[in-house]
Amino acid sequence: MKVFSGTANKELAERIAKELGIALSEFEIFVFPDGERRVQVRERVVEEDCIIIQPTSPPVDQNYMELFFMIDSLKRSGARKVTVVSPYLGYQRQDHVFRDGEAVSLEVIRSTLESTGLNKIVVFDLHTIKTPEIFTIDFVHLSALELFAKTIAAEHLNTSSSLLISPDMGGIRRIEILSKLLHNMPYATINKNRDLNSGKVEANELVNFQDNASYTSALIVDDMISSGKTIVAAVDLLRTKGISNIYVFATHPVFSDEAKELLGSSHAKKIFVTDGIYVPVNKRFPTLHILSLAPLIAKELSSS
Amino acid sequence: MDSKFVSKTTSVYPQEFILLSGRSNPQLASQIATLLKSDLVTPISLFSDGEIRVRIAPNLRRRYVYIIQSTAPPVNDSIMELLFMIDAVKRSSAAEITAIIPYFGYSRQDRKEMPRVPISSSVVTKMITQAGADRILTLDIHSEQQQGFTHIPWDNLYGSYSLLPVIKSKKLKNLIIASPDKGGMTRATGYAKLLNATGIALVYKERDVALNNKSDALDMIGNVGGKDVLLVDDMLDTGGTIVHAAKFLKQRGANSVRVAVTHGIFSGSALENITTSEIDEIIVTDTIGHSDAVKKNKKITIISVAPLLAKAIHYIQIGNSISSLII
Repeated sequence: MKVFSGTANKELAERIAKELGIALSEFEIFVFPDGERRVQVRERVVEEDCIIIQPTSPPVDQNYMELFFMIDSLKRSGARKVTVVSPYLGYQRQDHVFRDGEAVSLEVIRSTLESTGLNKIVVFDLHTIKTPEIFTIDFVHLSALELFAKTIAAEHLNTSSSLLISPDMGGIRRIEILSKLLHNMPYATINKNRDLNSGKVEANELVNFQDNASYTSALIVDDMISSGKTIVAAVDLLRTKGISNIYVFATHPVFSDEAKELLGSSHAKKIFVTDGIYVPVNKRFPTLHILSLAPLIAKELSSS
Repeated sequence: MDSKFVSKTTSVYPQEFILLSGRSNPQLASQIATLLKSDLVTPISLFSDGEIRVRIAPNLRRRYVYIIQSTAPPVNDSIMELLFMIDAVKRSSAAEITAIIPYFGYSRQDRKEMPRVPISSSVVTKMITQAGADRILTLDIHSEQQQGFTHIPWDNLYGSYSLLPVIKSKKLKNLIIASPDKGGMTRATGYAKLLNATGIALVYKERDVALNNKSDALDMIGNVGGKDVLLVDDMLDTGGTIVHAAKFLKQRGANSVRVAVTHGIFSGSALENITTSEIDEIIVTDTIGHSDAVKKNKKITIISVAPLLAKAIHYIQIGNSISSLII
């Protein structure tokens, strides 16, 4: 097995290689002055099982194009099997036509990945569980929830006065799984409204929440944090219910420009994310904690 | 524009067509739309995380759709944007989708020039085909063999259609057409014939194996002493090759050195190199949208390919051959 890295998250690739006890194989990625990339496999790969680590997070188009070229070069160089580990799968939210005249971007991504000859893809915590259905290649959907459950226990947050929170109705499946991993910790869901035109987020009400219960801690769990608006709206709503110890667990720190400011100044005590997406130093803030997916990925790669 | 060029709303066009433009070269697209007396649909916006969003408002059902998008820098975004536009148009039940790609990014990676590299241009072509394009229309594609990367029709026009009248108007006597590398000789010969040049010349790199193949020493075939030289090429990127060739031609006694290229990328320190170079004038088309710095540069003359592309769309739409546009 040979593990290669694109430019999106070399730190994660190094950690995975270390977990597997192998050295990272070399892929040269040269950027021309006009921005075109030329990739080149620097090792013999004939009949090898090749793994590419490349989350397709922002800059999403650049990361995808680089990935397509990497797969093409491995296949043309004789690799037996190519597996992509893309903890965060870009364009996954555009998985159907929301309004007439839109593209189904995820389908464009799928058909391209499959036509380059990709054999297998490994992703984490998809926005919807229907995504694997559109792929016709081997598709492995892993979750960071197990890692979150361990962290919650290690941080002693699994008390009788703790409550799990899904910041929107779409996260109910995720929160149910985590609740089971934490001996049926109670959970509630926020009814969120997002204006499709303005992008404004409103957290209106808590569903399945008993006002008379005396919760002091809330653990907000989500698949990704993009602008941070959803999380901040959830934190603010919980504070109106008298809960002040608020922690956030999200797999994918997509972090658009304003995220650092919004999250850093929020009342969340700690915000846990994973290293599936590399967070540049200038987007980090004191309450941010990064958990590594490398052991889970290494386990999946060595078991198959 | 010739007189048979009429509005799409009249009966000249058997079917209605729609023009779409991405963000890569909106100026060129709007000039084409003006020439065709058509509206221009610009369906691209961005999500907060930088993902591209397409939304096409008008009804495209049974319409002939022309998507104008150079896959120029930022090349990766421009390509993905093109794919999503094609997908959205396809899903809107268009009758036929023509991807007009005046400048085709990654076209220089058209073969395995070294071991274990991709054929990036093939990957891009496959993506465009799979997204649902029915036809590709390019200008001066780097190598015409790329048409074989797909099964759909691929019409390739030449920037010379737009460049030649401007060069002719300069009435250059004793004109020599030069190519800055061995691969460009066919193009140089073509220009020489159409401009009635007195001869052709070739500037080439003299690779010195003893110097680890890194010698930039130039040599040439042809005589340019006292002549006006026109260097022709398909594209100008950082300008290194052209600038060195111009210097060499002047050393060999050329009276003037002009450059005619279809695609001007002007990346890196291209503008600086050109300004301080021996080049007297660069004539370039607008297949790539140019920065203000390029537009203001006194050595650079920009010629629009909008009339050529508008005619091509017109001919395709009325079912005419476009071979008269291939010069």
